[in-house]
Parts: sequence; C-alpha cells; structure tokens
Amino acid sequence: MEPQRLELTRLYARFAFGPRPGEFSQSLKDGFTASAKKILSQPQVVALDSLATPNFPDLGARPSQANAAASKAFTAALKAQSDELTLWWLDCMAHTENPLLERMTWFWHGHWATSIDKVNFALPMFNQNQTLRANALGNFRTMAHAMFNDGALQIWLDGNDNVKGAPNENLSREFMELFTLGVNNYSEEDVKALARAFTGYQVVRSTGVVTFNSKRHDLDPIRLFGSSVPLNGDAATDLVVSRPENVTFISQRLWYRFISSSSQLDTKFGIEAAFANRDIASAVSALVFNGALSVPQHTVVRQPVEWFIAVCRAFSLQPSKLTPKTMVMNYLQKMAQVPFLPPNVGGWPTDEAWLSSASAQFRIAFAAALAKQIDFNPLASVPSEKRIVYIRDLLGVYEFSTRTFTALTNAKDDLQQFFVLAVCSPEFVVIA
Amino acid sequence: MDTISRRKFLQLTGAATVGAGAAMLSISEIAEAAITRPLPSGTPIVVVVTLYGGNDGLNTVVPYTDSLYYSMRPDISYKPETVLPLSDGLGLNPAMREMKSLWDQKKLAVIRGVGYPYPDHSHFSSMAIWQTGSPISHISSGWLGRWLDTQSADPMLAISLGSVPPPLFAGVKRSGSALPLGGLVVPSGKLGMRCQTLGKSSINDSPLMAAAATSMGNLFGLSDNVTGALKGPAPAAPDLPVINGGNAGGDSSLQQQLDLVAKLIVAGAPTKAWSVSLGGFDTHANEANAQSVLLGNVSYSVARFLNQLKGSGRASDVTVLIYSEFGRRVKANASQGTDHGTSGPVFVIGDRINGGMYGDQPSLSKLIDGDLAVTTDFRDIYSSILERDLKADPAQILNSWKGRVNSLYK
Repeated sequence: MEPQRLELTRLYARFAFGPRPGEFSQSLKDGFTASAKKILSQPQVVALDSLATPNFPDLGARPSQANAAASKAFTAALKAQSDELTLWWLDCMAHTENPLLERMTWFWHGHWATSIDKVNFALPMFNQNQTLRANALGNFRTMAHAMFNDGALQIWLDGNDNVKGAPNENLSREFMELFTLGVNNYSEEDVKALARAFTGYQVVRSTGVVTFNSKRHDLDPIRLFGSSVPLNGDAATDLVVSRPENVTFISQRLWYRFISSSSQLDTKFGIEAAFANRDIASAVSALVFNGALSVPQHTVVRQPVEWFIAVCRAFSLQPSKLTPKTMVMNYLQKMAQVPFLPPNVGGWPTDEAWLSSASAQFRIAFAAALAKQIDFNPLASVPSEKRIVYIRDLLGVYEFSTRTFTALTNAKDDLQQFFVLAVCSPEFVVIA
Repeated sequence: MDTISRRKFLQLTGAATVGAGAAMLSISEIAEAAITRPLPSGTPIVVVVTLYGGNDGLNTVVPYTDSLYYSMRPDISYKPETVLPLSDGLGLNPAMREMKSLWDQKKLAVIRGVGYPYPDHSHFSSMAIWQTGSPISHISSGWLGRWLDTQSADPMLAISLGSVPPPLFAGVKRSGSALPLGGLVVPSGKLGMRCQTLGKSSINDSPLMAAAATSMGNLFGLSDNVTGALKGPAPAAPDLPVINGGNAGGDSSLQQQLDLVAKLIVAGAPTKAWSVSLGGFDTHANEANAQSVLLGNVSYSVARFLNQLKGSGRASDVTVLIYSEFGRRVKANASQGTDHGTSGPVFVIGDRINGGMYGDQPSLSKLIDGDLAVTTDFRDIYSSILERDLKADPAQILNSWKGRVNSLYK
C-alpha cells in the first residue's frame, strides 16, 4: 500500500466530493500535504466554472384556487424551478474546479437545514445557497448574520410570524440549539429573550427579501446572556455567536460530519483553537492537516448525494444531462436525500442510517441505471487484469476486500456490472 | 451522557440506529416467518405511534367548557359546538371522528397531562427522553430496546416501519428491525449473485463496512415462499396538503405504514412490538388547519388499521399507544400557532383497554412559566404496557419505576 493512501482517500472523499480521472493517481505521486494544500488553496470564489447561473423569475403570489388553470400552471412552475435548482446544484458539485467550496456549501446546507417543502419557492432557496457558498469558508459570525437575514430560513422557521407581544420561538430556539450553540448551552429564558430580539422581520415569500418593520419589533430592553439592552436581530446574533460554546459546538459539528460521528471531538487535533476567531477555513485546515485523518477508526459513510457526485466526478457525468430527466431526482428521493429537502431542521442523519437494505437496493438500481449512460471506453482500453487497480484509483478507494476483489474479478469483462459492483462495494460506500 | 453524545444518540433527526447492525427486514422475510412460526394467537401486540414535532394537546383533547381556554387562545380555539364531546368537559378535535367512535365503544383511554419531571423544550432532547424512557439520567437505549434485551434474539420481535429504526427500539444487546416501505426489488441473475458476494463479511471490515456488507447481504436472505398479498409494493400514501409544521421530522405516510402492519399482523408475523410515525406537528404558525388535517389522518389511519384486524382473530390482541414529545404552550403566539410546551394527552386504544379518562386535566389557571403542569408520568403508561402486554417486569426496564395507570386494562 502506498504511504498516505488512507489520508488521500479520505481527503478526496470527504473534502472534494471524490477525485476526477487521474487526480488520485497524481496525488499518490505528489503526496498528501501537497495534494491537500492544492485542494484547500483553491480560490474561494463564487464563480461556478462553465455552468450558467440559473435565473429564477419571481413567480409572485399563488393565484386564487378559484382559478384552476392559473393555479395548476403556478404549481407546475414551482415544481419546474425547484427541479432546475436541484439539478443545477448537483451539476455544480459534479463539475466544480473548486470542490472544497461546494463540499462546504453542502455541509452548511445540512447545518442550516432549510427545506423547499415549506419555503416552496426556488428563488429564496437559491439565494440562501449563494449565501452559504459565499460564506462557506469565511467567518462564521458573518455567516450567522447573513443567515439570520436569509429569507428562506426566516420562512422555514416562521420568522415572518414573529411579532412583538406574542413572539414565535421557532427560529430563536433552533438558532441556538442547532445553528450556533448546541442544546443545553442556553436557558428557556434565553429562547424567549432571543425570540423577542428576532421580532419584526418580514419576508416576501416568493423572493425571500427580508425587511425590518420596527412597528412589529420589541423595542424594550431584552435580558440575554447578561446584557439588558434593546436588541435587534443582528445585535442578538452577535451576542449569541460571541458565546464560547459557539466555538465548541461548530467544531463538534465539523468533526461529526468530516471525521467521525462515533468518536468525540478531540482537543489534541486543534479544531477549536483554529476556530477561535470563527474562521471556518482555519478549522477545515485543522481537520485536514492535524492528524485526524490518519486515525483508522475515523470512518464515515458517504451520504447518498456524496455517493452520486463521487460517481459523476469519476465518470464525467453531468447530472442534468442524464436521461430521463426525472431519473436523478427519483433515485435520490428513494435513497432519502434530495438537496434542498432535508428531513427536518436538524439536517440529514449520518453513517448507519444510510446502510439499510433499502438503501443498498436503491443504490444498486441507481448504479445500474447510470451504467447505461457511462462511456466505458477508457475502462475498456485497460487490460482486463488491470481493471480492478484502475477503478480503485479512479474512485480513490483505499483498498478492496477479498470479497469485493472476487466479485469484481468475476465481472471484469462485463463493464457495466463491473462498475455497479465497484461503486456499490462496502469499500466505496463507506470511506475507509 | 454529555450533550453532544445525547445529540448523537438522536443523530439530529430523532432517527438513530444505536449500535450498528439493526437488521433491515423485507416484507418477504416477515411473511415467511409468519408462515413458519406465526405468533401464537392471543399473544398481545403493541403498536407505538409517534407523533413528531410536538402535538398540541389542548387542541387534541379540548377543554371546551373552560373559559380560560378561549381567552388564552382566541384565534386558534375550537368552539364548543364543533368538538366531539367525551366527558369531564373535554372533547376531541373535530377531525377525530373515528376516535370518537372508539371512545363510544369504550376502547379509547385518554390519559391526561402526561409528561416527565423538568420538561425539556427541545424536540430532539424531549423525544430522546420519551424514547429512552429515562427523564433523569441520559442513557442511550430505548425502553422497548431494553425489553428486547430481556428476550431471546429474534429480529422479528420488534419492527419499525421506514428505513431508519427509531431509538425506541435500540437495546443494549439487541435492536429492533426496520421494514422499509415500498416493495424491495432484489437484483437477480449474475448481478444478483455478484452483489451477494459483496454482502459477505471480510476480516478487515470496519464496523461501518461490516454494516454496509450486511445491508447488502440482507437483500438476498429471502425466500420465494411468500404470500401473494404481501408481494406487491405498499399502496401509495394518500395526498396530504402542505403542512406548516413539518420542520421537526417524522414520516408522512401513517396510513401506508399501518396498512402494512395490519397485513403482517393478520398474516401472523411473530412480532410483538411495532413502531410507526407521523411528522408535521411542529405548528408554530397557522396551526388550526394543519393540526386538524394531521389529527384526522391519525384518527382515520388508526381506525382503519383496527378494522383491518377484524375477522383475523387478532383484533383483541392489539394495543395502540399514541404520543408526542411534548404538548404546546397554552397561549398562542401572534401567528395563530403555539410554541414548544410540556405535557399532553396520550391515547391508549384496544379491546382489552378500559376506555375512559385517566389522570388529571392540567389546570389552565395554574400554569408553570406559561406551560401546563405534568399530572401523569409517562413511565406509568410504559409500565402498564410492559406488564400487561409484554409480560415483562417494568422495574427492570424502567429503573425501578413503580407507578402504573390503574385499571387501564380490563
């Protein structure tokens, strides 16, 4: 086994959505540090390469149900925009020259988990996605402000309905519990106080534009974390993000998704220290460079979207170009993970949750459908006895077990099956 | 347990598989077991219905004769003439017609003011408390999981619907199984054989890789000897309108889940505990319509489920338990919704249940920080179910808990 192969496998699978053809082999030559530096130092720009940025016209308010034709057309337009949005983002993930940025955007989407199921309109979800991308590797404080002022999040957690006198606590509770501090790091009084500070923000549903209506805002002093002054949403966000628990909590969330959901965040890897100033890129750098990737027990299961994108990157597939148009959405739905549709405000589950027999079945079926659209000429040109090593390096797999080796050997002249078995193998589904 | 590991227990969705390797079953496997080793008739069966999101108890069992109810919730209260009257000045939400009929047949027990000491207002923490059955010390096993620990190993003993089993069924030694909805289509021919090879265990497997291999292998542990009725895909879920309270998890297809459970019970599945769920109860805004749609769904689905058991000889074996992680704040917020609260009613339904009211109705004039008092500890209910249905010693499973809901069972 090449030195640092484990770390490289984890680097690509967890921080870059998987290698593109040739990348992993090149990295084996370049070594871990050089490869990691390359991935981490990609420009943190919002440019999305050759993909056109979609344009989502404001659909306006839903027409009256009395007008059946208009109502039907409106629903169809919502659905079309929603599908376009999802496929566009999947294309970004599969195509990007800067996979870390896209991967971090995906992480933050699961963190500030907002669902189009309630938001309905693609435009605010798209704007939120752009906000997450712009801040994905930036400063968490800036991100928290931007997200507090995000229309989709406000709609999702009823911020629109939070008014002076009878505040709605949905956003304030989840803001502290799930987004910034972690459960039990605040009191019930803090939830009520933060809800008062968050009163008065209103959202245009179809666009996500947030405005502040001081008539609906509670102007009285608000007792929150020791201070007692009038607070608006931004001032309160500052107080919350300044709590020391924010450092531990965000470090834990990063650890949980990128390193291990079963072992505790370990101070010796310096994640919290790196995040002390709320700098996300520094925390990510600590995750990558401080040795956590070398611990054998730190295994992670690819979530369905990550699995699909890794396949797309290795085999040069563009999600929106796959046919029929509905295939990608249907299979992701069956595998229970569609971008912009998290199951709840806590985001998607991890690890064992994706290892049911139902998932295995749908993964095989999805892979078999993808196999029909893959150009296998590069694989065919590899002598059949070398195909296992070839696909192992193409996918950036650490090593295949004997069982998988046997299955692949039996299928090495049936390229479609060979592909299905490789990408459904436990060694690809689980990142070593 | 510290906060992050408790959080981890729920994996942020209330849907953890504690301890890798909870078996995933197929309908065919259960059907096969139903044929070869059916549950002896007369064996009690528990069906747990979890309502995710925090169901508003006051608008489920409505105190329609209490003027405080109307003054505290002017916009989201139910008028006296619309509720379905039970007794003691309480009536069911107008959408729960089938439940009212179960009440009239004396099969519905309404247990009032159920909760636990020091109520937690977090969805995820409170659901963990209900599912572990341990309000004081934080533990990672579920109350029915610990019952499984006392039984001999059998993956059919406790089954949850959906592809992710709930913490409820996670024991220390054993776990309940999960039954994904929808028909399984297992690859056949050469691909099937080769996929089967991928399901074998390998000496270098990490725990997660072993679980991935097992999930693949389980696909192929089937037999063709199954009953035709169970072979097809599960029926599609009925269309539900867009619900506002859906950001706290749970499934959306209660009827579909219960239809499948009914079929498998009728077929004789050797299963003593089932778990199904419905999400959408997190009604912070525009509650009235959303909640009544959901409660109507619960009412219809449960009654339909019980009807499907009629004639099977097992109708009187089944006890249905319906609960949610908390009730909601008494006072409405300004968005015609309610925020997270504390206690709420629990329903226990069955032929062997003494229908009626249990526990005290929490007083609207004696609120604690704006919340209802807890008058019944949920462990009383769990204990009664463990003792009467599962023939287990509740003290062993619920940390020496001694309370019961007296005369709940006939």
